[in-house]
Amino acid sequence: MTNPDDLLPEGLEDRLPREAKAVSTAMRQILDVMDAHGYDRVSPPLVEFEKSLAGRMAGGNDGATARRMFRFVDPVSLRMLAVRSDITPQVGRIAATGMAAAARPLRLCYGGEVALIRADQLDPARQRLQLGAELIGNDTVTAAAEMVALAIEALEGAGAKGISVDFTLPDLVDILASKAMPLAPERIADVRRELDTKDAGGLAQVPGGEAYMPLLYATGPFEHAIARLRDVDAGGALASRIAGLRQIAERVADRARLTLDPTERHGFEYQSWFGFTIYADGVRGAVGRGGTYAIGGTGEPATGFSLYIDALIDALQASPAGDTLFLPLGHDRDIAARLRAVGWRTIEALSDSDDAQALGCTHHLVGIDPVAY
Amino acid sequence: MPQMLTFAVPKGRILDEALPVMARAGVVPDDAFHDKANRSLSFATTSDDMRLIRVRAFDVATFVAHGAAQIGIVGSDVIEEFEYADLYAPVDLDIGHCRLSVAEPAERGTSADGTSHLRVATKYPNITRRHFEAQGIQAECVKLNGAMELAPSLGLSGRIVDLVSTGATLKQNGLVETSRIMEISARLIVNRAALKTDARVAALVDAFRGNARSGNQGGAAAA
Repeated sequence: MTNPDDLLPEGLEDRLPREAKAVSTAMRQILDVMDAHGYDRVSPPLVEFEKSLAGRMAGGNDGATARRMFRFVDPVSLRMLAVRSDITPQVGRIAATGMAAAARPLRLCYGGEVALIRADQLDPARQRLQLGAELIGNDTVTAAAEMVALAIEALEGAGAKGISVDFTLPDLVDILASKAMPLAPERIADVRRELDTKDAGGLAQVPGGEAYMPLLYATGPFEHAIARLRDVDAGGALASRIAGLRQIAERVADRARLTLDPTERHGFEYQSWFGFTIYADGVRGAVGRGGTYAIGGTGEPATGFSLYIDALIDALQASPAGDTLFLPLGHDRDIAARLRAVGWRTIEALSDSDDAQALGCTHHLVGIDPVAY
Repeated sequence: MPQMLTFAVPKGRILDEALPVMARAGVVPDDAFHDKANRSLSFATTSDDMRLIRVRAFDVATFVAHGAAQIGIVGSDVIEEFEYADLYAPVDLDIGHCRLSVAEPAERGTSADGTSHLRVATKYPNITRRHFEAQGIQAECVKLNGAMELAPSLGLSGRIVDLVSTGATLKQNGLVETSRIMEISARLIVNRAALKTDARVAALVDAFRGNARSGNQGGAAAA
């Protein structure tokens, strides 16, 4: 029986060889796609000052996101440190400091583990692999289209099937509330909250909320929903947004199923005019999300996305175990090296009693040739 | 054959009122569903690609939020208690009306004013905590799964937070309703990812919306 002390804390797990291999393959494929599109990888540290990290998160230093970080006092500086729960703010910090002078638009990508001190019941993992790309210095329609296309290509590279992208307009309520569908400032949060859960009943009870009701129906398959959104568009306040969405959709329409949900705000707390969520077959919940935003501190515009591929790995078909060649005692090391150079994976005998097949070998070396068992 | 859709309905209070609403939207369970002796928890429907599961109200929200069921019916009390981010409540079905209220023993008649800490027995610890926090009171919640009304008389807690429809149960147990936290009605709930990736879910939402609208015009509210 396993000693209870050897169990892992809730929300943490080991990736054993087969899964670990699948994760590193998918990670490599995604980073390769980003690299091929000119995104330079950066690798920020696991731990940094809490103030800088939290300050660039949704809700700032007191936000709910920032509260979910592991935090402790740095014995050296006596300041508060935090373990990153999101790499995006770190990339924002790099863009605002170390690479402030680099030419814009700046294309950066990253991949690494993040941790949460407390997960929620829906997604109990407290450590996740986050991969992503940020296009810094630009939040135009063209930038957004590039990022959506890149996210789709990266996920396809990792083996995702049946990709579906949901577009949203995170600042929609702010725009409409200012003029077209006036709302008292103290009601904006209420309207947002009811739109978030798509609660028509609740929305009707908020004074001024009724005007927003048609937005609940402007959701679904892209062409259908955008037509409805155009019908809702009071006084043309949304005309440029609608044109932008169409342009992005045009670029990726043949690559993924597209839907629109203009009032979706879950997970888009710091995005500005455009946001998107990516789903894939066999994965419960989203595999990634992104959008346009302003970097905390400098306010520089940026567009980016993050992918959380742990759930995707579980959904992928396990790749068949590759061939492995057993090298008996006293084999020719030069030949073994040459075979490895052409792609063979080898396991070397340590003693006469090694059982090659039990160790997963499919071939053994006879003279200079690999022979199947 | 497309993947099976799972529709979760709660046992008890709401179910009898929900069945006609579901039927108008085209969701009709097999006869086995109405057979009291049948112990199974999963039932076929008249549609080949949909099944019905009958679970506790709180579990309806959990099944749907996790995507184990794509769609369901549950009271707004349960939705508020969990605040699951992956849950949409697109249609107010206008059935199962009641309210969530604070009640306390009639004879004592004290109010919460001026107290900074009190103990409340409830099935809804999150809503209760939020309600009292908004008044600047730290509420210590004792989570019970039923028969909350017993708690004050046995000294378990000073107050309770529970569903009230007519108030008869409170009265019988010597309690009075001191404040209303929220009005409650049953909602159609759907899983966020399912709504966005499965056209059948969106079609069902439309069907329920259509019949909720015509129901409202007919004034079919059951209070």
